[in-house]
Amino acid sequence: MNPMDIVLGVIGIALSVMIFSYLLGDNFFFRAALYILVGVSSGFAAAVLVTKVILPRLVEPLSRNGTDAFWLGLVPLALCVLLVLMLVPRTVKAGTLPLAFLAGTGAAVAIAGISRGTLAPQLLSVVNRFSPELLRANAGVNWGGIVEALFILLGVISVLFYFHHRLSRKSAGTQRPLLVEGISSVGQIFLGISLGMLFVGFFSAALTALIARMLWLKEFILALLAG
Amino acid sequence: MKKTIPILVAAAAALFILAALILGEPLAGWLEIVLNWAVIVASAALLVAIATLILTHLRNIVRGKRGFIFSIILISTFLVSFIGALVLGMDNSAYLRWVAAIQLPLETSLLGLSALVMTAAALQIFRSRGWSLLTLTFGISALVFLVISLGLLQALNIPVLTTFINFLQRLPMIGARGLLIGIGIGALLMGLRVVLGLERPWGE
Repeated sequence: MNPMDIVLGVIGIALSVMIFSYLLGDNFFFRAALYILVGVSSGFAAAVLVTKVILPRLVEPLSRNGTDAFWLGLVPLALCVLLVLMLVPRTVKAGTLPLAFLAGTGAAVAIAGISRGTLAPQLLSVVNRFSPELLRANAGVNWGGIVEALFILLGVISVLFYFHHRLSRKSAGTQRPLLVEGISSVGQIFLGISLGMLFVGFFSAALTALIARMLWLKEFILALLAG
Repeated sequence: MKKTIPILVAAAAALFILAALILGEPLAGWLEIVLNWAVIVASAALLVAIATLILTHLRNIVRGKRGFIFSIILISTFLVSFIGALVLGMDNSAYLRWVAAIQLPLETSLLGLSALVMTAAALQIFRSRGWSLLTLTFGISALVFLVISLGLLQALNIPVLTTFINFLQRLPMIGARGLLIGIGIGALLMGLRVVLGLERPWGE
């Protein structure tokens, strides 16, 4: 190992120990590690934004005086200046205009993205289960396919039912009809199964990271001792 | 009037982008320009947010507020990281190696720590929310999928068991589909509310 590897490795060990010190309770070292993470990450993010977006997309076109790019660059420049004014308490309201522009573009992109990328494929995958090709088997009826399609349809509807009626019960505070209660209960079961699987997925990933970190620590210390 | 202008700006930007996405070719050039503006403004907004964070911590140091030592740590690491990138360049291998040497152990250790915190939180859910159909199915499902993820049952190579495990593994997709559709409808409605000026996430 060269001296640089040793220095970086020791920093890695120190930071890992600082994070795992949380197991003894919230303490100075854990907090310091979090502040280091926030500081380094925000510095890196700021540098990326300046060098990869602001300089090439805003400053560079504005340096080409009189061209189309120059005139088109004046609009984001004005919006950016209004945003910067938000740093001064007196002119904080100047930022509403660029933020409104961002909210509008974000909403439009979300509407288009969600309807095309999430809602349409998810709804189609439920509807397509009922396509005649899938429900026919060797000139007969594929009863297994029909049951599965109905099962999926019931599951999706009941989960949506649970969400909708949970909110309406919270706001109205009234007793719901038996049918609504029943479908909501089915929805809760499907939702519980999905959340359990998601939990296991996240837990496995976190556990893998924990084991990987421990193994790295062990290997680094052994390599250090071996010289 | 002061409140109307931002609503009009948001609605105009949203309607233009939706029109450009629907019409395609005739507005493609302008769509690219407007999206480029949005990228620049979003980046500037993030920079302003980072500047606000730094200013807040600077104020904490100047006023000697409790815990100002953490503010010193944050600002010094920020400056080292930011100035290092500007001086050495974003693609400098030594700089990237140093940043990775700090971020990687912190992030993986935090992820590893979250495994332990998640275990405690999973047990806490029964105490805080009680025994309901949702918590019960969540607990059973988590246990079943933990056992399945070990791979021991699959290793037994019993055909009926393998078929049953395959069925179980498809089951969460139903609820997840319902969840995704629910989230999609919610986000779609929120987007439409912004376009129509009923929702003002930029504040008044």
